[in-house]
Amino acid sequence: MRSIAKYFSGLFIGISSLLKGMSVTWRELWTKKVTQQYPENRDTLVISDRFRCELVMPHDENNEHACTACGICQMNCPNGTIVVTSQMIETEDGKKKKILDTHQWDLGMCTFCNLCVITCPSDAIKFENTYENAVFTRSKLVQKINHEGSKLREKKKEVKPVEAKPVVEAKPVVEKKAVEEVKPEEPKAE
Amino acid sequence: MRIDQRNKKTFDIYNIMENIKKLILNTVPTAVIEEKQKLTVTVTFDKLHLLAKTLKENAALPFDFLVKLIGVDRGEELGVNYLLCSSTDLSKELVLKTGTTDRENPLLYSITDLFETAQYNEREVFALLGIRFINNPDMRKFFLNADWVGYPLRKDYDANPELNPLSLESVDMIDIAPRITENEKGELVEDTVNIFGEDDYIINIGPQHPSTHGVMHFRTALDGEIVKKIDVHSGYIHRGIEKLSESLTYPQILHFTDRLDYLSANINRHGLCMAVEKAAEIEVPERAQYIRTIMDELNRIDSHLLAWACQTNDLGATTAFIYGMREREIILDIFEKTCGGRLIINQNVVGGVMFDIYNEFQKDVKSFIIYMRDKLKEYDRFFSHNVIALGRMVTIGVLSKEDAINYAVTGPAGRGSGWSCDIRKHIPYALYDKVDFKEIIRTEGDSYARYLNRLDEIEESLHIIEQLIDNVPEGDICAKVKPIIRLPEGEYYSRVEACRGEFGVFIESRGDKFPYRLKFRSPSMALVSAMPLICQNEKVSDFIGIGGSMDYVIPDIDR
Amino acid sequence: MILNYSQPLEVTNLTSWLDSTLRGSLSEFWVLLIEFVIVGALLLAAYAVIALILIYAERKITAFFQARFGPNRVGKWGLLQSVADMIKILLKEIVKINRSDRFLFFAAPFFMIVASMLTFGAIPFGKALHAIDFNIGVLYVTAVSSLGIIGVLLAGWSSNNKYSMIGAMRSGAQFVSYELSAGFALMTIVVLAGTMQFSTMIEGQRYCWNIFNGHISSMIAFVIYLISGHAETNRGPFDLPEAESELTAGYHTEYSGLQFGFYYLAEYLNMFIIASIATTVFLGGYLPIQVKGWVDFNGIMDYIPSYVWFFGKTAVLIFLSLWVRWSFPRLRIDQLLNLEWKYLLPINLVNIVLMVILVLTGLTLTDLLPGIF
Ligand code: SF4
Ligand code: SF4
Repeated sequence: MRSIAKYFSGLFIGISSLLKGMSVTWRELWTKKVTQQYPENRDTLVISDRFRCELVMPHDENNEHACTACGICQMNCPNGTIVVTSQMIETEDGKKKKILDTHQWDLGMCTFCNLCVITCPSDAIKFENTYENAVFTRSKLVQKINHEGSKLREKKKEVKPVEAKPVVEAKPVVEKKAVEEVKPEEPKAE
Repeated sequence: MRIDQRNKKTFDIYNIMENIKKLILNTVPTAVIEEKQKLTVTVTFDKLHLLAKTLKENAALPFDFLVKLIGVDRGEELGVNYLLCSSTDLSKELVLKTGTTDRENPLLYSITDLFETAQYNEREVFALLGIRFINNPDMRKFFLNADWVGYPLRKDYDANPELNPLSLESVDMIDIAPRITENEKGELVEDTVNIFGEDDYIINIGPQHPSTHGVMHFRTALDGEIVKKIDVHSGYIHRGIEKLSESLTYPQILHFTDRLDYLSANINRHGLCMAVEKAAEIEVPERAQYIRTIMDELNRIDSHLLAWACQTNDLGATTAFIYGMREREIILDIFEKTCGGRLIINQNVVGGVMFDIYNEFQKDVKSFIIYMRDKLKEYDRFFSHNVIALGRMVTIGVLSKEDAINYAVTGPAGRGSGWSCDIRKHIPYALYDKVDFKEIIRTEGDSYARYLNRLDEIEESLHIIEQLIDNVPEGDICAKVKPIIRLPEGEYYSRVEACRGEFGVFIESRGDKFPYRLKFRSPSMALVSAMPLICQNEKVSDFIGIGGSMDYVIPDIDR
Repeated sequence: MILNYSQPLEVTNLTSWLDSTLRGSLSEFWVLLIEFVIVGALLLAAYAVIALILIYAERKITAFFQARFGPNRVGKWGLLQSVADMIKILLKEIVKINRSDRFLFFAAPFFMIVASMLTFGAIPFGKALHAIDFNIGVLYVTAVSSLGIIGVLLAGWSSNNKYSMIGAMRSGAQFVSYELSAGFALMTIVVLAGTMQFSTMIEGQRYCWNIFNGHISSMIAFVIYLISGHAETNRGPFDLPEAESELTAGYHTEYSGLQFGFYYLAEYLNMFIIASIATTVFLGGYLPIQVKGWVDFNGIMDYIPSYVWFFGKTAVLIFLSLWVRWSFPRLRIDQLLNLEWKYLLPINLVNIVLMVILVLTGLTLTDLLPGIF
């Protein structure tokens, strides 16, 4: 007798658990989806401004940067991603000075550990959140991040570097939207 | 009163440890005992097995949990360090050291008969350092092919690629294991054993398979639908991180930890940072500790969500898989906003954290907590009591507590077998002694216990975060650290509770800016080593389901 | 009884017009031949089109269950996705497997597709949209649809792949078991309806569908039929023969291109066939909802063409099947057989006896309440 009771109670408990599960999927069927529609949403897409996508060397309006070609970033990079080449020049007052020739960074080898940025003594490089970095050949991943004809900023006029990309200028907006996005969905009434 | 008790406790510990020392000296009078960061006992190789056995079987404080087995090339000798601890109190630790000066044919005695977990570890040591272990039943190389030339972790290893050329030939698997045993007369006998029987029906689950959670290879002998025997092949994505680390500075090594068990990236990194901080005596600022703890717990939720999702997917419920991913996405967004990474988050650095929390961090996390609680209820309704799911998990893949300890299975899986093994409770680090949380323990030891443990741990993690999130103090996020960190000579251990169990770091420093030897204890390796045991005589579909419930991550094994 | 046959949207007029035109100018033989060819071509076309629609529908509905959007790149709302998939499948290379049994390997998909095609032909899609109306229609459908299993078994055997082999063996066990239940469930209704011919069975359900007519017993039979039908089509939670996370793709692991396409199509079509047989046998087939005495209402309902009713009811059942499929984890082989032999089969046997009693003692709804039903 007990086994018969068990047989049927097992059957009914089982069926009710299945129905409960189905009610969850039913609810989901009518819930608004959170999937992002890339690339349609490119204009509204919010990428956190700390997101590390691309190493850049900010240049100001005079095409000047802060890199002294000291090579510390190259030394600190665990993957040999950065190659800094410098050249010796003679300044007007006759002193020898090392200036940056190329600062080359290989996106394909970078593990985005941020060590180069935090160890750079002159804060000359930083990560940018420009995320569309796909290219067709590997060689294109190797980038020279100092601009053509740029030079070292003189120490005295400590101008705050103007960001090269407009993405960062929109920062307050970015942050606000980003927060909204994380807000949990209110359970939708059916 | 409290102080008295604490004093008494310290006194007891002192007493017990004194007794242990006496015990050691009684067993092996020639043993050298040193008080380093851990109590270290050095013995000759022929005495090690005896000592390990005595320590394991002593009644007062059995050292029955082999945490780490570390092969070291000490220069003139090749040696092994064993970190033992007591399964009842993980804070009682002891290091055994032994070694052999024979670099041509180094032989040590295996302790596989005492600690099952030693088996894979000894095989790993054989592959990487060339030490063979007498009485280990299966002395094939772990991670490496049998024909690999050289032993990578030896200091005189020749890394010339011509010695080990890239082969594109398909090579048949050889299921014959060499071994070396000692017979009663004390002679060493070398012979081979066949892993499988003559006409076993063997299928390869992996290395490419939808459910092995990475490139893991299980050679599985089947009898109809029933699993008879499993042989684990690993190393398909072995990257030699430990070897690479020997020529990198500590801050540089940090970025490797994220790539071990990528799902508990932040916690692994925490472990290594702690080891370095302890060794270099760096005080981590309070604010950094808060951020670390919160991020660790978020990381744990993230990982457990993924584990939940994958387990359901392994059982055939694709929909649940996507639900888990959906919730995880929110954590990833928080990570992204905090430290610019989603999976590999690069948050911890030696001395603190790299990025401060952002303005809305608290708000985001709090709304996530509310959301997640709601979703946990949904998971409960959707899957946890589903009759089919129950049939696929309850009493399936039972791992007993003894086996859990023996195979060193920690984390939610170990706690599902009734073993209290939460490092956060036993050896609190960061802020875990300041927050209130329960250690989730279930005694059934089956897939379902592991499954529920994870869901409950998500709830506990939420609870921990709740206690911290509003109290993050002002202050520095990182201590002042010298640009080049040199650790004083010595051996340093650290242990943290990663998402899949205990993650450990061992650093042997010779005063350089590079570690002399760095070893990670991977929790997943223990999980996988228990798979052949608990899957035996289960159906092949349950083998997949059990794999999901153990939730191993392969890069963690193939360091 | 029959209200009118003059609805503008029905195809009855079209078919009879075609028939009479042909007969006017050709001999009996040619008329039949032409008609056969037309019917055959139409069925084939319908087969492909229905499969494509189903594939699209499943992917879309599944996506919505799973918090996703589903296909939305090819065409508006991804409408052309399954067409694109079909083209891809047609263009794909058919891989030849070394050390496989070549002949059986190539023959297997045909068994699958032919079996489902044969069943498909016997389904009444609407008034005058019924290719063959056997007097033993139910039996025919049951018999022919079970041929498909040969395709699965052969595929597993001939692929020389261990995953396929396990998948095929599972499938064998599963199919044999559930065919039993499905058959018994249909027999229960045959007892009630007193006929095996689909057309008579449908006509008998004008005012009271079989599922209501035999109340308890019919309901049970209906549920059992849906479960076992679902299991027969190898769809989750009964998708053990494919068991993606265990056996990669089960019995069709080694198939590619068009051959895989056959299995793929057959899977969806079988789902449709099961749903349409359930519609025909339990839910009044292509008949509209009719209530005795409500002449106006009946008139309006009747105005909707019969094939719309048929496909509508079938669609509801298919949706149910998708809903179930995407809510549950997969069963294990022993649980699957347990469900059949411990639950479904005994319940079914009791149920059939119950139905006999209901019919003999006049306890069916039509007997009890002849005024309403
Ligand atoms: S980027 Fe910074 S660290 Fe690198 S070379 Fe320039 S100044 Fe030195
Ligand atoms: S982020 Fe790390 S890997 Fe990338 S360039 Fe900088 S230091 Fe090198």
